[in-house]
Amino acid sequence: MNDIDGGTCVLRAQELHKDYGKNGGLVHAVQGVDLDVAAGETMAVMGPSGCGKSTLLYLLGGLDRPTSGEISLAGQRLDQLSERALARLRRDAIGFVFQAFHLMDELTAVENVELPALLAGRSPRAARQTATELLERVGLADRAKFLPTALSGGQRQRVAVARALVAKPRVVLADEPTGNLDSAAATDVLRLFDQLHRAGQTLVIVTHDPRVAATADRMISMRDGAFTGQTRLQGGTTGRLGSLAGLEG
Amino acid sequence: MGKILLVARLAARDIRYHRTQAILLLLAITAATTTLVLGLALNGVTSHPYQQTRALTNGPDLVAGYGVNLGSAQGPTAVSAAEIQADTSSLTHLDGVTGYSGPYPIASVILRVRGLTVPVQAEGRGQAPASIDQPKLTAGSWVRPDGVVIERTFAEALGVGVGDRVTLDGRAFTVAGIAVTAAAAPYPNCYLTSCMFTGPDMSSSSSDLSTLNVGLTWVTEADARALASPQAPLSYVLNLKLKDPATAPAVVNQVFANGGIGAAINSGIDSVYSWQDIQSAAGQLVQDQQGVLRIGAVLSVLLAIASVAVLAGGRMAERTRRVGLLKAVGSTPKLVAAVLVAENLAVALLAAAAGLVIGWAAAPLITNPGAGLIGTAGAPSITPATVGLTVAVALAVALASSLVPAVRASRSSTVSALADAPRPPGRRAALIALSARLPVPLLLGVRMTARRIRRAMLGAASIAVTTTGIVAVLTFRATVNHDLGPGGGHVGDPVVARDTQMLAVITVVLVALAVLNAVCAAWATVQDSRLSAALARALGASPRQVSAGVAWAQVLPAIPGALLGIPLGILLFKATDTGVMAIPPVWWLAAAVLAIVAAVAGMASIPALIGARIPASQVLQSETA
Amino acid sequence: MQQEAVLALLAKESAYGYQLRARLQRALGPAGEALNAGQIYVTLSRLEKAGQVTCEREPGLPDRPDRKVYALTEAGRQRVTRWLADVSWPGPGLAEFHLKLIAAGAARLTDPIAIIDAQRRELLRQLRDVQRAAMAEPDGSEAALLLEGIALRLQADLAWLEACEQYWTNHKDDGS
Repeated sequence: MNDIDGGTCVLRAQELHKDYGKNGGLVHAVQGVDLDVAAGETMAVMGPSGCGKSTLLYLLGGLDRPTSGEISLAGQRLDQLSERALARLRRDAIGFVFQAFHLMDELTAVENVELPALLAGRSPRAARQTATELLERVGLADRAKFLPTALSGGQRQRVAVARALVAKPRVVLADEPTGNLDSAAATDVLRLFDQLHRAGQTLVIVTHDPRVAATADRMISMRDGAFTGQTRLQGGTTGRLGSLAGLEG
Repeated sequence: MGKILLVARLAARDIRYHRTQAILLLLAITAATTTLVLGLALNGVTSHPYQQTRALTNGPDLVAGYGVNLGSAQGPTAVSAAEIQADTSSLTHLDGVTGYSGPYPIASVILRVRGLTVPVQAEGRGQAPASIDQPKLTAGSWVRPDGVVIERTFAEALGVGVGDRVTLDGRAFTVAGIAVTAAAAPYPNCYLTSCMFTGPDMSSSSSDLSTLNVGLTWVTEADARALASPQAPLSYVLNLKLKDPATAPAVVNQVFANGGIGAAINSGIDSVYSWQDIQSAAGQLVQDQQGVLRIGAVLSVLLAIASVAVLAGGRMAERTRRVGLLKAVGSTPKLVAAVLVAENLAVALLAAAAGLVIGWAAAPLITNPGAGLIGTAGAPSITPATVGLTVAVALAVALASSLVPAVRASRSSTVSALADAPRPPGRRAALIALSARLPVPLLLGVRMTARRIRRAMLGAASIAVTTTGIVAVLTFRATVNHDLGPGGGHVGDPVVARDTQMLAVITVVLVALAVLNAVCAAWATVQDSRLSAALARALGASPRQVSAGVAWAQVLPAIPGALLGIPLGILLFKATDTGVMAIPPVWWLAAAVLAIVAAVAGMASIPALIGARIPASQVLQSETA
Repeated sequence: MQQEAVLALLAKESAYGYQLRARLQRALGPAGEALNAGQIYVTLSRLEKAGQVTCEREPGLPDRPDRKVYALTEAGRQRVTRWLADVSWPGPGLAEFHLKLIAAGAARLTDPIAIIDAQRRELLRQLRDVQRAAMAEPDGSEAALLLEGIALRLQADLAWLEACEQYWTNHKDDGS
């Protein structure tokens, strides 16, 4: 399970458990999960809906507290931090991308992107600067002053990705990033994730879309709160494209 | 019939599901109805007790004062005994007079007790009970040599009881008893009618206005005559009974028209008053109260309406979506509106009932018509009119808050109702740019305010109303202090005391309503900004920063509201009190504003902290939100 | 394909010829109508010649292929095991994978879910390669269009694998 391919470990979880409800209504959302994500790695977590993968992601991001188990981000124990320290961590070290985008409707694209920087206390000018650069990086520089309602789904998600990058996070956590997107928009977002991956960003993506999972270095299957298998997706079956296309040979 | 049941079931389920809002709504409307009931209960509160006092003391229909020539240049001079005899005779022979008591001599003396100096008229009486106007003792015993009986309100103002020692013009007397009478209005209003003080005008030598108020006492006839002096001669009072008491005002007019009962009566007859005059003078004590209470009721109702409006607006999005759902499954717009209205009606009726009960129970505390009259107002008259008006107001408030969304919902298209938030948050670019420079809690607070400008303005209006009330009270206090002058040791003015008491009650009610309002507004804000708050947490704001942001979102509109309330409050006082007004000192006003704003912030943190308990992940994972 | 499928159907226990045919028909349904009735017996005789199946005539029964009893040999068993573990794609068609799952479930040789997971991982690897190749192509290239077609088919296959997983999770204890 702990198949670390060189590099340092950015995110680690051990024996994670998360239960909801009590007595008769007790639900084991996450059961005994062990996880290691190396720096620069893209990891995909796949599974049917209700298997607990989103819950796992929110635990890793410190937005929810595990019932038991340890989580470490860059060596720091998340499960032992206070709420304020967790908030600071989310400002500086973790970026989130959500299925429903969750952009503020009354803020323009650039105002949305600069928000985490403002929350971290950076000067408005510096925040605006960083936000503009990031919007350029995701290819939406000309839409900086647009409101989210004037953007397509794919563009909104790219703004959300830019927002997640503002703090130069150690890891970006994405919850079904293409769930609300059509095929073309999803391709744009996938291209963006690929760019990030090549630039060395660590990504953990929860998804049931195989296209998204296929971009990962490592894929973990999850069912009923527990991991059921892990796959290295690198070093695949190159050269077989011909037969896939129906060409005998 | 089935439709009615369905409406009732849907309404009941909705109320149970949104308990908090229903409770807040109930509290707001109950506060308004209670204040309304109290205000109405004060109507006609003294006519009843005055009649009781009149019956118990066998009160006169007419009271005449004479026997002193007030017009001469040297001051009041005595009139000859023969003239007094003639005046008495002509008065007792007036048309319709069936009986009389007196004339009783009145000495005008200065009473001193415990450092207080007060002008007083001491009426000389015999041991035997008079046929008309025998004051009813509430403590102690009747007059005796060197013993004085003091009118009850006056005794309370002085702070004396049976057995205390006082001096009248330097002579030592003991308080023999306390009594009430219907022949004069209770202190301090007795000077308005049948008061015959002939002593020196003390008001010129002191700025204490309470020296104008003459107190009423009774002594033995011998003591009264002994207390007379050349500077303050005896005057006389005569109590008359008429065949038809209702004609008393007409008889008074008759006396003074065309020189009165013939030219034989000389100018010695100073005053004749009917029992109706005395009753109204007695009633003035509570008229002030009534006025003040009415203003307080208006302010309270305004605050209650503001609370209700805020609550109605808080769940607008969710309510519109629910309406869309009902329509989509086949309900007619009428049914949808009926459910909305039914929910609010149920709460409003309950609030009206609660207001009536609480008002009925609390009214005796404030409708005490004054110590000078026997009897309370009785269980305050909850007349059918009161019930009707209260229920009507409650229903109006509830209907107003439910009709707007009901009409809007039945008009809107089902698709748009289901699709999205009907009122997307407003964008104020300037505020957004400004907030970027502020520390995080202020940033969040400014942006939250900017999202719902209308609710912010409503919040500012509510605080303005509250501050107006409180500043009016402070102005009253400052005016009283100014009137009474520096230094302690003055006779308590029962009117002032009552008004102060009343205003204290109003202040408490206003503050309570303002607190409720702040909680409602904060609750609505928390509901509305659940997603933004969760998002802010995900992007790195700590829960404390988010709660502080919610508090700031209430405080920021409260500040201009409070500042606006200062001039409004002073104006309100000026509009109700025609006398000279003293503006409260600046530090009083500053303290009031700070206290109000701090209270708003404190109250806002409660819903904020409760809202922060829900884990952000739960909110973020839901698809719509 | 048919050879391995027939072998796998014998893994649980030996069976009469007609039983094997019935099993196959039930698994394939309308898609199997193209299969000739006698084809299975031809396959069985080929397998017997290859030494992967034994054929016995039960006493008292006529000497017809559908009444004979067939059983796996050791060589046959090994071939089945290899076949179950093979994840190459695309094979001749969906039917092979479908029968693979049925045979594995019936004979309890391997958990069908494990087969599905293994196949899915392989398909994902292939999808990854296709996507990378597509992204490396310049905008508007013709090759990109072909690659998109391959990617879409792979996605479709992956969606079917998900449906298989759903089915086999619910039918874990079906002994048929």
